[in-house]
Amino acid sequence: MQRSLYEEIRAVAVQYPDERSAVLPALRLAQERYGWLPPAAFREVADALDVTPAYCQSVASFYDMFHLVPVGRRLVEVCTNICCGLEGAQGVLEALESELGVRVGETSDDGEFTLRAVECLGGCGSPTIVAIDNRYREGVRADDVPALVTELRGG
Amino acid sequence: MSAPELVTVTVDGRAVQVPHGTGLVETGLAAGVEIPVFCYEPRLGPPVGACRMCLVEIEGMPKLQAGCTLVAQDGMVVSTAATSKKAAEGQNATLEFILVNHPLDCPVCDKGGECPLQDLTFRYGPGNTRMTFPKRTFDKPIPISPTIALDRERCILCYRCTRFSETVSGDGQLVASNRGAQSLITTFEDEPYRAPFSGNVIELCPVGALTSTQYRFEARPWEIQNVPTVCALCPVGCNISATTREGKVKRIISRNHPEVDEGWLCDKGRFAFSHLRAPDRITEPLRRVRRRGFAPVPWDEALDEAERLLREAGDHIVTALSGSETIEGAYGLARLLRGLGAHTAILPEETSDALDAYRLPLSAIRAAELVVVLGDEPVSERAPVLDLWLRAARRAGAEVVTCGPAGSTLAAPGAAAQVCLDLAAPGNELGERLRAAARAILVWSGPGGQGGAQLAALAGALGFAGREGCGAFYVPAAPNARGVAEAWSAASDDEGSTPDPIKLLVVSGDEAASNPHVRALAERAESVLAVTMFQGLAVGWADLVLPGTSYLERDGTTMNLEGRVQRLRRTVTPPAPDELAWLSQLAGRFGIELSPHPAVLFAELSPRLFGGLPFGEVGERASLRPRSAPAAEHRLEPPALRRPGDGHRLQLLRYRPLFSGAAVERVPELQFQRPAREVELSADDAERRRIGPGDEVTVRSNGTSATLRARIDRRLAPGVVRIADEHAGDLHQLVEVLKR
Amino acid sequence: MADEIVLAGAEGRDLTKLSEFRAGGGYAALAKARGLEPAAVIEELVASNLRGRGGAGFPMGRKAGFIPKPGTNPNPTYLAVNADESEPGTFKDREIMRRVPHRLIEGCLITAHAIVSRHVFIYIRGEYLEEFEILRAALDEARGAELLGGVTVVLHRGAGAYICGEETALLESLEGQRGQPRSKPPFPAVSGLYASPTLINNVETIASVPAIVERGGAWFATIGAGPASTGTRVFCLSGNVVRGGNYELPMGATIRELVYDHGGGIADGRELKAIIPGGSSFPVLTPDQIDTPLDFDSVAEAGSALGSGVVIAIDDRCCMVQLGLRVAQFYMHESCGKCTPCREGTRWMVALLDKIEDGRATHGELDLLLDVCDRILGKCLCPLGDAAAMPVASYVDSFRDEFREHVDAGSCPFGGSSSLDRLLAPVDQHSLHPTVEVPA
Repeated sequence: MQRSLYEEIRAVAVQYPDERSAVLPALRLAQERYGWLPPAAFREVADALDVTPAYCQSVASFYDMFHLVPVGRRLVEVCTNICCGLEGAQGVLEALESELGVRVGETSDDGEFTLRAVECLGGCGSPTIVAIDNRYREGVRADDVPALVTELRGG
Repeated sequence: MSAPELVTVTVDGRAVQVPHGTGLVETGLAAGVEIPVFCYEPRLGPPVGACRMCLVEIEGMPKLQAGCTLVAQDGMVVSTAATSKKAAEGQNATLEFILVNHPLDCPVCDKGGECPLQDLTFRYGPGNTRMTFPKRTFDKPIPISPTIALDRERCILCYRCTRFSETVSGDGQLVASNRGAQSLITTFEDEPYRAPFSGNVIELCPVGALTSTQYRFEARPWEIQNVPTVCALCPVGCNISATTREGKVKRIISRNHPEVDEGWLCDKGRFAFSHLRAPDRITEPLRRVRRRGFAPVPWDEALDEAERLLREAGDHIVTALSGSETIEGAYGLARLLRGLGAHTAILPEETSDALDAYRLPLSAIRAAELVVVLGDEPVSERAPVLDLWLRAARRAGAEVVTCGPAGSTLAAPGAAAQVCLDLAAPGNELGERLRAAARAILVWSGPGGQGGAQLAALAGALGFAGREGCGAFYVPAAPNARGVAEAWSAASDDEGSTPDPIKLLVVSGDEAASNPHVRALAERAESVLAVTMFQGLAVGWADLVLPGTSYLERDGTTMNLEGRVQRLRRTVTPPAPDELAWLSQLAGRFGIELSPHPAVLFAELSPRLFGGLPFGEVGERASLRPRSAPAAEHRLEPPALRRPGDGHRLQLLRYRPLFSGAAVERVPELQFQRPAREVELSADDAERRRIGPGDEVTVRSNGTSATLRARIDRRLAPGVVRIADEHAGDLHQLVEVLKR
Repeated sequence: MADEIVLAGAEGRDLTKLSEFRAGGGYAALAKARGLEPAAVIEELVASNLRGRGGAGFPMGRKAGFIPKPGTNPNPTYLAVNADESEPGTFKDREIMRRVPHRLIEGCLITAHAIVSRHVFIYIRGEYLEEFEILRAALDEARGAELLGGVTVVLHRGAGAYICGEETALLESLEGQRGQPRSKPPFPAVSGLYASPTLINNVETIASVPAIVERGGAWFATIGAGPASTGTRVFCLSGNVVRGGNYELPMGATIRELVYDHGGGIADGRELKAIIPGGSSFPVLTPDQIDTPLDFDSVAEAGSALGSGVVIAIDDRCCMVQLGLRVAQFYMHESCGKCTPCREGTRWMVALLDKIEDGRATHGELDLLLDVCDRILGKCLCPLGDAAAMPVASYVDSFRDEFREHVDAGSCPFGGSSSLDRLLAPVDQHSLHPTVEVPA
């Protein structure tokens, strides 16, 4: 039987000498359940860790991987830092905008894809890095994008 | 205690000796040198070094250092902006960066004239701007509560407010959101900052980002007077200044008594002053007129009527005191009434001087190793600032044990007396630790306890006498309960007997007038004379109502829960004469000589009550008199029995919330802090009844019921529910709770 | 590859599997270390002069020596491993965790033994999901094989903040707070995680430890470029080269060797224009400095820093103003916001660079940019402020004519053909459509 979010968070919290350390994993667990972090998520995490919802929101808003607005089912992130930038990242980004039909920083109308530009993902030796739900595609060139999108769409 | 080791530090060429471990900012001050700061505030915890205003040069260190994060070391050579070009450049840079996005609001900003940013820019900052880009903007100001406005454009992100909310008051409601240049201060969603100490951020904020809505556009610093006085809304007696302009109180700010309040104020003491101008304030005497209700009468007639009532009643008079009168006011009342043979007075609670043997300033709580808190009412409701001292103690590493229905050790309601017995018994683990600790504190917060005598007995049994770091505090419900009781006793040595019938009930003060027991007594009395501030209270059931004054309008003294005598000053002229003025006249009609001057009355009382302390020496920051020797041994009394719950029915704990009372009810901005219509349940009891948070429930006892929303308190003991007094109506001690 | 230490044995074998790792001698060093006194292990580390590979280059043995000995401090000691690799140009820790996770685990356990700690936290950047999974599996294997020896190892994922790579910010984040750095003193060795003594080291540093214990600190010190720069580094080559990637070489290999011998030189027949060593946080070098050996002192003498072993080769299609803008945008995005000069200064830098790139700036504003950089330098709470100001100031200094041309021409001389043209930074997304709404 699936555990409640409260139970999942409690299980993680006891692994730390100070339970407050579990805030980050707890927020991640909540985000996995809700798809993003609505106010209710902060209330649940706060209750499980005996902190305030304001505190949880304050922590979550500091980090790039927590979404405080709804995002698409699939998250597509393109590194546009200098190394990937020098090797055509902007072209990859624009190709994805075109193929996915979505502007960078936005979510597609069908709620399927959110496209973002992000900072260095740690794959500089094989530019450009495109992370799909945090799993990396390396060495992506602009003309690789159509095939990639087809694959994402399940084709 | 050995003297701290002294170290020599040179600041801008001046040598100064300070105790080892002194912060560099204080060291600079000792040398007469300013090291400017924004984020540095020792009361908020260890320094963070965030704002970079305090950059100084330290010999031997290549980079500029944040002075506030350093402590004095022997031989340190410090150069501030005054003597170091590099430091001056660094401080100038900090101010330039702050001003890059700071709006030019000075002409419309309440902080102007008392603004550290203005002052420091003038002293250390650039004279003009090189920034040509549009400044970042926000919607402003936004009310983060009815009492506080937030202007995000002005905010310099010094994080003082968030650190206060997180660490000092612990409410965790005011937080920083986002990162970097997008950072901003906010509450959760659009919820207001609802916490008993929220107002302190207004004083903490070094710019006009957090301001008081009550004070918005009300005055400029050069047209006000700050009258030093003491808050008399709770038994702590925080030192305050009343800012007045053109004869009206415009705001209350802290006057920082390091031993009593350390510069903090609760929101009640800070924002409730507008009760002085409540629309239903009584400014003239009112007399009951048959068939026409109440009519105002001139003072002569009123005093004639009062005299008539007193003469007719003879000595069959009972006085109901509020416990919020000044010592002199209570004494004046006592000299008159007891002079007429009317010795019976009722107070909201018992008082005792037993704890004088274990007197300590509140600040001693922070220095404690071990603190034990007993009692049924949370300290935060009765004496809020005491709760801040408890939190400070925890932060400093003290162990704070709370024994109560929602404590770290659960105890049933009414069990505090039993806990005292247990702790005193040999072999009790906590008791042993209390005996052994060099600095241990006991606190009793709640009803019972005989005014502190129980706690004194425990302190005695634990051997606190003679251990100067150990002490005890009893937290009464009334602000000056003991002062009033002692003043009443000092007026005469005669005893009386309770009159029957009661020909006249004298009701002194709004708290007495709101007390249901006093009201019940009034039903039995033949006539009632009431002294109150507001229409809604005694008007209706009294025969003669005389206008009362507020603590902000009185000169005199009060005694706080430490046993410290503090001086109130009249901050504004009341709309009706001070009580002592007409008491003195009334007394004269009976041949009783009573001075209308507090100083004279204090002088009469002082030899008997205060060891001859002269009125003028009570002082701006009153000192705590030294401990007295323990009096006759007080015995620990066995507890009064309380009916336990029976599995289905739960024990009802009523409590008087901080934000209650006649004054608070009349302050529109504070209504959001009033307790919600809620019943607090333990997690167990809620689950058993399938009640979830926010569910509507019926709370029932014999004959009455109330509909309330459920709130789950995971710390509350099973078998106990808590409801604020004003929502509990006539519910009895045992109640049923049912989901609707 | 020959002479590898950190990545040794990973070629052609799957060292993520415990059995494979052991077959190659893995965990023998751990057994050996556990037979030694903790102080003896620290001695070997000191003898090796292994210096931190995260960027700061502090000698690891000396740092471990700062941890209070048992019985002198009432608090437990902790080991925190900094796997928050986020410095642009750096991708070595990722490969180390992907290919030799057991070597990292072994290094953790040896180091924990050396400082008598029973609690290890590996703080891994949130974006490294697959590396986290690999590490978790390896940890499960190690636990199952009872190799942990009573040491608790917690794998803690970050959530996307470059600043959490700064050691005190990492500790704050690990404690469940916003990842803002702390003032030092107190130093982590005295008051780190949960106000307890804590040793923090980079992944590559820890992964170098097993070999040092196995073969001796003295042996390690014979490799590399003299006593100040011992051992190997996993250099990260990227940019406009033919074969970007991680190359583990002895310290002292020159930039030329890395770029041309291993990396295949500049791609597409272009010319080398600039070299960024150490990571985006460090001053740029010019092509005439190509023979600079990659060791701590040589790169410092050249005017930059070895940092995290990064070399980014930039060809002549790159506009240096655009590079400066993109770098400044990175620091503006990643600034934690705690201290005034970094928070306000990075935003001002971006505004100025944007104006320069757009051709709307004056020469006075070029000087203003340098002054703003100077006003940030040395005044911030943590090195991020310097990391923004130093490189940008170096671009202006080394490529002053290019900056001047933007002003004089009133536009970017590349006219839209530069490699970084129109490159969209995450901070630009904020202005297009905020991802976090500012409440009205």
